[in-house]
Amino acid sequence: MNLDESHLEDLALGAVFLATGGGGDPYVSKLLTALAFKKYGPVNLIEVSELSDDAHVVTIGGVGAPTVGLELLPSQNESFEALLAYEKHTGRKVDALVSFEIGGGNSLIPIMAALAKGIPVVDGDGMGRALPEAQMMTYAICGACPTPAVALDYEGNATLFSTKDTHTFERHIRGLTQASGGMMLSIDHPMTGAFLKKAIIPGTVSFSVKLGALLRENRGSAEQLLSPLQALFKDSVYGECRLLYTGKVTDKHNSVVGGFDVGEVTIASFEEQTPPMSICIKNEYLIAKLDGKVVASVPDLIVIVEYETSSPINAERLRYGQRLAVFAIGCPEFYRTPEALKAVSPRCFGFDLDYVPLEAI
Amino acid sequence: MHIGIDVGGTHTDAVLISGDDILASTKALTSADIVTGVVNALTTILTDGVVSGTQIDAIMIGTTQFTNAVVERRELSEVAAIRIGLPSGEGLPPMVDWPADIKAAVGNHAYMIKGGYLYDNWPLAQFDEAEINDVLHDIKRKGLTNISIASAFSPMNPEPELFLAEKVKAVIPEAKITLSHNIGRLGILERENASILNTALLDFADRVVDAFGMAINKLGIQCPVFISQNDGTLMNASYVKKFPALTFASGPTNSLRGAFKLSGVANAIVVDIGGTTSDIGVLQNGFPRESSAIVDIGGIRTNFRMPDINAIGLGGGSMVTPDGLQIGPQSVGHRLVDDGLVFGGDILTATDLIVAAGGAEIGDKTKLQQLSKEVVASGIKTINQMLDRGIDMMKLNSEPVPVILVGGGAVLVSGDLKSASQVLRPKHAEVANAIGASIAKISGESEKMVSYQNIPRDKAIEEVKQEAFKRAIAAGASEVSLEMVDIEETAIPYMDGACTKLRIKVMGDVKALASTTHNKIEEASS
Repeated sequence: MNLDESHLEDLALGAVFLATGGGGDPYVSKLLTALAFKKYGPVNLIEVSELSDDAHVVTIGGVGAPTVGLELLPSQNESFEALLAYEKHTGRKVDALVSFEIGGGNSLIPIMAALAKGIPVVDGDGMGRALPEAQMMTYAICGACPTPAVALDYEGNATLFSTKDTHTFERHIRGLTQASGGMMLSIDHPMTGAFLKKAIIPGTVSFSVKLGALLRENRGSAEQLLSPLQALFKDSVYGECRLLYTGKVTDKHNSVVGGFDVGEVTIASFEEQTPPMSICIKNEYLIAKLDGKVVASVPDLIVIVEYETSSPINAERLRYGQRLAVFAIGCPEFYRTPEALKAVSPRCFGFDLDYVPLEAI
Repeated sequence: MHIGIDVGGTHTDAVLISGDDILASTKALTSADIVTGVVNALTTILTDGVVSGTQIDAIMIGTTQFTNAVVERRELSEVAAIRIGLPSGEGLPPMVDWPADIKAAVGNHAYMIKGGYLYDNWPLAQFDEAEINDVLHDIKRKGLTNISIASAFSPMNPEPELFLAEKVKAVIPEAKITLSHNIGRLGILERENASILNTALLDFADRVVDAFGMAINKLGIQCPVFISQNDGTLMNASYVKKFPALTFASGPTNSLRGAFKLSGVANAIVVDIGGTTSDIGVLQNGFPRESSAIVDIGGIRTNFRMPDINAIGLGGGSMVTPDGLQIGPQSVGHRLVDDGLVFGGDILTATDLIVAAGGAEIGDKTKLQQLSKEVVASGIKTINQMLDRGIDMMKLNSEPVPVILVGGGAVLVSGDLKSASQVLRPKHAEVANAIGASIAKISGESEKMVSYQNIPRDKAIEEVKQEAFKRAIAAGASEVSLEMVDIEETAIPYMDGACTKLRIKVMGDVKALASTTHNKIEEASS
């Protein structure tokens, strides 16, 4: 399908919902993508099955601190320049681009680069949501080598990586990002078309457009949204969708641990008898507990929206007194395999508990 | 003795206050020149209070003039908007996302140059003297004198903005300049927007503040004049000439603060019921609870602090379905006096229900004879349910809280509300805004990104606090009364080294009321 400026608002809104609290505010990326659509016209969004098996596909996105991104703005051409730098330093020609993660602004970066280069974007991503670290991507879990990879900073300085595994790559690129102003573009995990067909969460870009349209058309209280939302998720890679809770923020605390924003938010119910809900955060919303009992956990999606409008809210914008609704959504089946859970279960985030699928709670 | 004034788009309200007593109050029409309306309101309260102008110690003014100017795209000056931060943000010039009409109103003169610092104070790029000269001479050639300067990370390091301001003054000595670090927080697009809007309002601010001064001078009043800002605190009049944008949204804030003063209850829910909506806000220790959302003013994103308001579609003019089960959000608005049943119209409104139930005496009650008792009862129930739900959403726990009713539509509430521990209907509620302005304090705020590994937390807090003190004193606070009222720490994700955004707010008494010497204000003497 062709994706154009008319899809942009919905895509970005759906992407914030799927970002489960992380991913940063896509506002600036949205402005730049709108400029790119005006300049180049629509982008060719292809299904993964349309890729030839020997196609050379790379994944592209931003790495860094969303708060830094509030001041160090991206530039119009930098995603294209990152792509050119990759081709120059690896000597490989890129046939198509795919997103790290559908959640947040990273859903738009492949589109900007692909528009400038005149190549397609694959409909899908490596997370089906947002997650904080590169080794949690489906591409890495399926065994893709993270490099050769190229990172580009705001000044156009390029760095070429040749790294043994994704864990090491993640650590190295974080270090480099801190020394480069706090925000970089990365092109990594080069894959063949045949490989990507096994490793992608398919269809999430077009799904995000549908989800955004649904949120826009059903702007209103979370209770009113629930039924159309359930209908949409039921026919997707996700499945289950529940309204877990409605209430007000009574406490939020956070601190930086190991380069991540770690914290907890407590929400008190609008109803008198219901106990409060607490949600653990590590960039994204990871564990939801009601009265100490886990009611949803990563890799299932926990989404917090503003109660009155159902607009999704990022973790950094949660504040004392806000009125919220909490949704839980089943993750794609890919993440429920023993192999994937080694990378994304609650234990990978330092929680002493096993993953229980949403439907089993 | 002091005076509170609220200069709105339609009405100019004034109250005369001595200690805690309201000696006189009035509601007059706002005049096109502002001066006449203020003179009329002041004359009325001085006469009613049997007080002479020389007995007034201070005047506090709340005004929506600057917000209205932005919303209506009038009284705006052309602005040269310079951003320091290339090569970052290339392709996203200042005002890139503004509505076309207001972009045109300020001339759309956008400039971007190299320079600035990164989050860790490493240079983002070096200044280029030739590039700066080209920009400044282009601005001079266009004859622009209102200039906004915004630099990446300037709340952490304002040096590039200060450096460029000196360069501007050398080339354009008469320039009126806003530096973004003086007006906004982290988030360059929103802070730059605030800075540009402020710069566009500087000439209008001169006129409005001078008009206030002239009105006050005419009545022989010689005392400090303050203007209220969006957080319920005051600026002195000369400060408003530099930062008019800080008055945005002072209206709802003054209404909440006025409700506090009128009721004496510091922790409560305030319901301001108008013709179309009920605005529900929260008083915490006598001040409005703030919203954290991005605030849109006239279609432009800013990061001003605003009170958290839950507006529900229920007012005196709200239309009611024949069964009384659905009220609003459609309202007959100001046509209530023609369209409402009690006024001889044919539309059932919330006001008609209350009059029928005997809750208020408005219009002609005999016109409501067709209305069944059941419909009236279910309508009254619906009103209370809507308010209870709106109030519950704003509360922090399920405990009933006091609810203060202000605004012309307060009569809609008959009896008690389930959500309220008590319902307060203070006297003078119709001039709550002017009273809110009259009791405002003076605040200062400062924000910085710090690493607690490089600077101990205590020392960082002390440094930021001192900067906030300086800002409060510059705004007219008495130094001895200053105290810290809020610390906000935000950790920066992905950054090791305990990098934290630290924001501190301080507040103090109005110096003019605390001390015995009253300096004549410059507006009154000129």
